[in-house]
Amino acid sequence: MRSTQHVVVPKEKAVKEQYSDPPLLVLASLASGPKHGHAMIEDIAGMCGTRLGPGTLYGAIARLEQQGLIVPLPPEERRQPYRITKEGMRILGAKLATLQQFAKAGLKRLEA
Amino acid sequence: MNRAIARVLTSLYPRAWKDRYGAEFEVHLEAESVDISTAINVICSAVGERLFPTIGGPMDQHSSSFGTVVRLPSAFIPMAMSLTALALVLIHISVFGAAREADEGPTAHLWQILMAGQLPVLAFFAIKWLPRAPRQTLYVIALQAGAALASIAPVLFLKL
Repeated sequence: MRSTQHVVVPKEKAVKEQYSDPPLLVLASLASGPKHGHAMIEDIAGMCGTRLGPGTLYGAIARLEQQGLIVPLPPEERRQPYRITKEGMRILGAKLATLQQFAKAGLKRLEA
Repeated sequence: MNRAIARVLTSLYPRAWKDRYGAEFEVHLEAESVDISTAINVICSAVGERLFPTIGGPMDQHSSSFGTVVRLPSAFIPMAMSLTALALVLIHISVFGAAREADEGPTAHLWQILMAGQLPVLAFFAIKWLPRAPRQTLYVIALQAGAALASIAPVLFLKL
């Protein structure tokens, strides 16, 4: 519940509808390779226009790490990179498949 | 964001969270631009983390026993307030007798403050803990209600 809140939306993009599920966004970002917090924020902003606030990002990171879906890597210049686990990949795949199915059905209804 | 602000914002989080993420979060905040929405985002997340801890919370440690819940400040403070109010009434009766006074004295005012003052603490306890440990929380609420009734009973029965 909390993880879907506190998304910092840039003013110029506020008019657009943005997808806001921080844990899923973090998993999707890490699917392309390990990243630290700042790189995740930039990657997610580029991917879907949603700019996560630092509190939201670390809330998602903490929950995902607790669930064993991501793991920390050795720090690089004080920054802490994370990588997605196999279980994280599996969960991401399942969630995206559900979303794809949902989007397909929704768009079909709009066309009708 | 300068280091001092980043440190202040990080300090809003609970200790267990800071022990794990504090250092990297501070570094992350230092790289962020200073703006009000970022600060609000961090403050809200810190409050959320305090209310529903991801790590280090009692639920995380599998210690949601009755003993753990009843030792929480928001659990025992209302009981302590009720028992203090009861003690005040008993002391008042033993010193001045059980006769009804025309005007409310300091004992009556203290009693009212203690009984009314525990309501927000009780509400906080119920809101925070009922969803997380319903059974243990209900037991504690029953104890709190018992303590409150024990304090109210002499006032009602003796018509003080």
